[in-house]
Amino acid sequence: MRNLGILVIAGFAILALALPVFAEQYVTWGKDGSCVLTTLDGEKIEFAPGELGTLFGPGKQPFKGKKIAITVNAAGPKGGICGPLYRFRPAWEELTGAKLDIVEIPFAEHYTKVMNDLRLGIGQYDGFMTGSFWYGDLVGGNYIIPVDDYIKDPRFPKWDPNSMPNSLRTLYSWGGKMYGVLNDADGQVLYYRKDILTDAKWREAFKKEYKYDLPVPPKTWDQVLDIAKFFNGKDWNKDGEPDSGIVLHPKVGEQGMFHFMSLSAPFVYLPGPKVDKAHNLYWFDPETMEPLINSPGHVKALEFLLELAKTGPKAQVGWSLGEAWDYFLRGKSIFVFSWGDVGALVQDTSRSKVKGKIGASILPGCYEVYDRSKGKFVKLDKPNIVGNTTGGSWHGVISRLSKNPDVVYSLLALHATKPVSLWNASRGWTGVDPGYKYQFLPPEGTANLKDYLAEGWSENDIREYLKAYHDNFYAEHVVTYLRIPGAFEYFTTLDQNLSAAMSGQLTPKAALDKTAKQWDEITDRLGRAQQLKLYQEAIGYKK
Amino acid sequence: MKGKEDGGLSSTRRRTKSVIILILAIAAALWAFMPFYWALSTSLRSPLETFTVAGLGVPFVQFKPTLANWIDQLSIGETQRALVNSTIVAVFSTIIALILGIPAAYALARFRFFTIKNRDITVWFLSQRVLPPVVTVIPFFLMMRSARLLDTRTALILANATFILPFVVVIMRQTFADLPLELEESALVDGATHLSILRNISLPLAAPAIAATALIILAFTWNEFLFALTIGSRQAVTIPVHMAGAVDTRGVQFWFMAVRALVAMLPPTLLALFAQRYIVRGLTLGALKG
Amino acid sequence: MSQAEGGVRALWKSKIKFAFLIPAVVWVLIFTIFPLIYSLRMSFFNIRIGQGDVFIGLTNFARVFTNEQARSAALVTLKIVVVAVAVELVLGLALAVLFNRVMPARGLLRTILTMPLFATPIAIGYLFFTIFYEEGGLINGLIPWKVPWLSDPGLAALSISMVDIWQWTPFCFLVFLAALQGLSDELYEAAMIEASSGWQIFRYITLPLIQPTIVIVLLLRLAEALKLFDIPFSLTGGGPGTATQVYSLFTYRTGLRFFDLGFASALSYVMLVVVMIIVSFFFRHLRQIYD
Repeated sequence: MRNLGILVIAGFAILALALPVFAEQYVTWGKDGSCVLTTLDGEKIEFAPGELGTLFGPGKQPFKGKKIAITVNAAGPKGGICGPLYRFRPAWEELTGAKLDIVEIPFAEHYTKVMNDLRLGIGQYDGFMTGSFWYGDLVGGNYIIPVDDYIKDPRFPKWDPNSMPNSLRTLYSWGGKMYGVLNDADGQVLYYRKDILTDAKWREAFKKEYKYDLPVPPKTWDQVLDIAKFFNGKDWNKDGEPDSGIVLHPKVGEQGMFHFMSLSAPFVYLPGPKVDKAHNLYWFDPETMEPLINSPGHVKALEFLLELAKTGPKAQVGWSLGEAWDYFLRGKSIFVFSWGDVGALVQDTSRSKVKGKIGASILPGCYEVYDRSKGKFVKLDKPNIVGNTTGGSWHGVISRLSKNPDVVYSLLALHATKPVSLWNASRGWTGVDPGYKYQFLPPEGTANLKDYLAEGWSENDIREYLKAYHDNFYAEHVVTYLRIPGAFEYFTTLDQNLSAAMSGQLTPKAALDKTAKQWDEITDRLGRAQQLKLYQEAIGYKK
Repeated sequence: MKGKEDGGLSSTRRRTKSVIILILAIAAALWAFMPFYWALSTSLRSPLETFTVAGLGVPFVQFKPTLANWIDQLSIGETQRALVNSTIVAVFSTIIALILGIPAAYALARFRFFTIKNRDITVWFLSQRVLPPVVTVIPFFLMMRSARLLDTRTALILANATFILPFVVVIMRQTFADLPLELEESALVDGATHLSILRNISLPLAAPAIAATALIILAFTWNEFLFALTIGSRQAVTIPVHMAGAVDTRGVQFWFMAVRALVAMLPPTLLALFAQRYIVRGLTLGALKG
Repeated sequence: MSQAEGGVRALWKSKIKFAFLIPAVVWVLIFTIFPLIYSLRMSFFNIRIGQGDVFIGLTNFARVFTNEQARSAALVTLKIVVVAVAVELVLGLALAVLFNRVMPARGLLRTILTMPLFATPIAIGYLFFTIFYEEGGLINGLIPWKVPWLSDPGLAALSISMVDIWQWTPFCFLVFLAALQGLSDELYEAAMIEASSGWQIFRYITLPLIQPTIVIVLLLRLAEALKLFDIPFSLTGGGPGTATQVYSLFTYRTGLRFFDLGFASALSYVMLVVVMIIVSFFFRHLRQIYD
């Protein structure tokens, strides 16, 4: 026992000492000014002449001796958002001569740590891989600096904000100024098992039971529920065990509020010509800050979600993304609605059994939407389909307290360049989802199918996947996103109450009423007038 | 008469009884050891095997073990830094607590205080031990901010030394009180100073207890999470805080988690094995002798 | 007291005793009493960083008793602690009785049993997450049912108790074992001659003799368990919903995540009072020991 322990510790010591000795070259310059960067794993990425900016070149290390620290959601050296920072760290350090500190902070603590650093003027960090919902706090408190001038500056790596869809560009900016540097594009889409849903035998059985043709992809949530009900409990993947209709990931503290937001959007978000007291709203009344979260539309959506949850595994109430995705990847459920990571992970045959078998689409809608001005649900003649930018769209911003904003920007911009961005989007583990013109296939974009196939994508999957994302980000209506100070606190209370409803501790109505009450308390504590002003700015409300 | 029967148990029955007892004892030990084994097994699997290996997950039998996770984790600077931080914080907090605590313990054991009774001083030290850390963490955080000490190992050393100091005082007071007085008294009669007596007579006699106390408080400091989480943000991240980083926005990554858990748990567990004799006294704050 | 002894006693009257004692006292004062005063002040204010503090009297304390989350946090803590401590005491005592006999490899088994004691709680929380994991975790992999350990509110609280039990039963076991081994053999020999079964000996002789130990362990465990933070933080994150958001976790989040410092300070103070009440019972028991 004792000896074993000593051996293990000795082993640690030897490993720790032996590993850093591999010094390599990570940057190779061509004669024409082109450049090849090597990742930590030895993959090579090419840059056209000038693409990395004029600051850098053979023998130049403009930021020698500087050191910066970037915070990021903890995920380890190969995790989402965090992984790419590790992969390109050696190359960036060689390019600039600077040193990069990657500060991993657990998702639930990340916002806290960053806000404390800024509020108290400590200045531990130079930049943050932030979630867009922090913008109210970050810009409202004047804690980060705009990057418009940097984008125009030829000295730095090049990227183009116009390759972003409008829905995402608004998330990265505030009051007409860009603050964020292109990285992640978050939105949720519906993934389904195309192979099963297009199987003639199942289609026939479904029609017999539900009296209509099984739609692929489903256009409304009610259809999703019917299909999920139909398949739940049947062994449709022939593994000898009953399988599920859908799988969810509502674990508390793991962004459950986001999934609810995506699903409930069409129940609540009544499209109209402009933002007023009844149209294009999701969160608050734009004149009084009265929470809308317990409106009949929201309540109906949550009741629906509970109904839908019954067609999935029981344990999912305590599942975060990883577990739910894993379930879908192992071929145990027909549907999962989630982020872009899923599509990319499906390609990884070491974890996935469903490569080449999936379909993807923008999230379904519904025919009945709640209208505040009429105080009742109104019926539409076609389903209300609403795109979303659900999630963090995690990306880099520069702290106002940083002594080296140039160094920080050079790092963020390197990750925003087209070659790196494409590299990120085609790999599931990076957690960076596609959303930009050069990542979509023609006619929508300028990407090359060959590149994706070379990365090991199945052609069916990549076409389905990119189409779904394009439809989502370029949708006519996109549900508004909450970006006011305290957003994280509003989200947290909603998340906790949703989890209570999902685990049967509260009824949907009680959970949302409780949320509304807590939201009012938060608003009052943070100052209602100030919150209202920033909320109106954030959603673009004008009288 | 029952007693007669008890005394007159046949030897086979007695043997059966002791076999049953041994089996129960082994079961208890397995129950205590299982999670350690499970962590090791998980840490040796590739991500895919994390969920596909059923049951006990015996290495070599059910899957081919790999050191990839270990290499991945131990090769990054962040892990190495956390190990260094935890070590420095634990060692220095321990040294401070011993330097401050031992003389105080000696004074409480040997001298008499009159304005406030010895007993009450001891009890006051003790009460610090049961103070819930969450009560002081927020003001401590704000104090450290004013002192410009946030995210420094210094702040963590100050906090941890405070937590373990009462512990040292109470345990060592008991130890000194148990030492025979004669040696010290004859030295006093010979004109030695109190300080030299403490140094040359009492400390050597109490050495084993001091060593054990040091091991226990090292383990305590190593494990401290709440203050480390609040104070450390970049430079002063300790192993437990680093541990919490194995969870990302996608959920728990079992394989990294297992490696980090073992890295965190092994040192204090091993330390405690050497301090076995004093654990009871230590953890009951000197109220009971083990 | 004889003359000589009085002379020796006189030698113990040196002023150096203060030099020995004061540094430790001052250190503790600076780092605990000062923060306590600081947070007492905060509890009467609505603290808004950068915008000045507003004096609001006892409002924060009123919130402690009216706030639903605070109440549920207190209840959850109580539930988890009572279950955990009760099981730890009973199981610890049972193990101590078991090990109080001669058996092969007793030392080794006892050593293994003490391993959980010093294992890092935060790591244990994450580790048990993989053990309780519902699809492919250790427990559900070994039993034929899929028990929703972490997704069912009641079971999640029980799971936290179970982790605490795993970690702290060895402590109770060690203390009780030491107490049992300290009992004199003569008593037992006398008891053997008296007509009584093993159970009767335990019930009428052993239990009363180690009762003071049991009380001390009980109070110590209560005071310790109320601090519970690391395990809910890592195992469940306080979920599902807020079913396992224990009091410390709620206080931490209120203060350091949402920066509602006044309310967090009031929450802390209420907790402090509760712990102090428990501890004063403990000390009443202990005064004589420390004399």
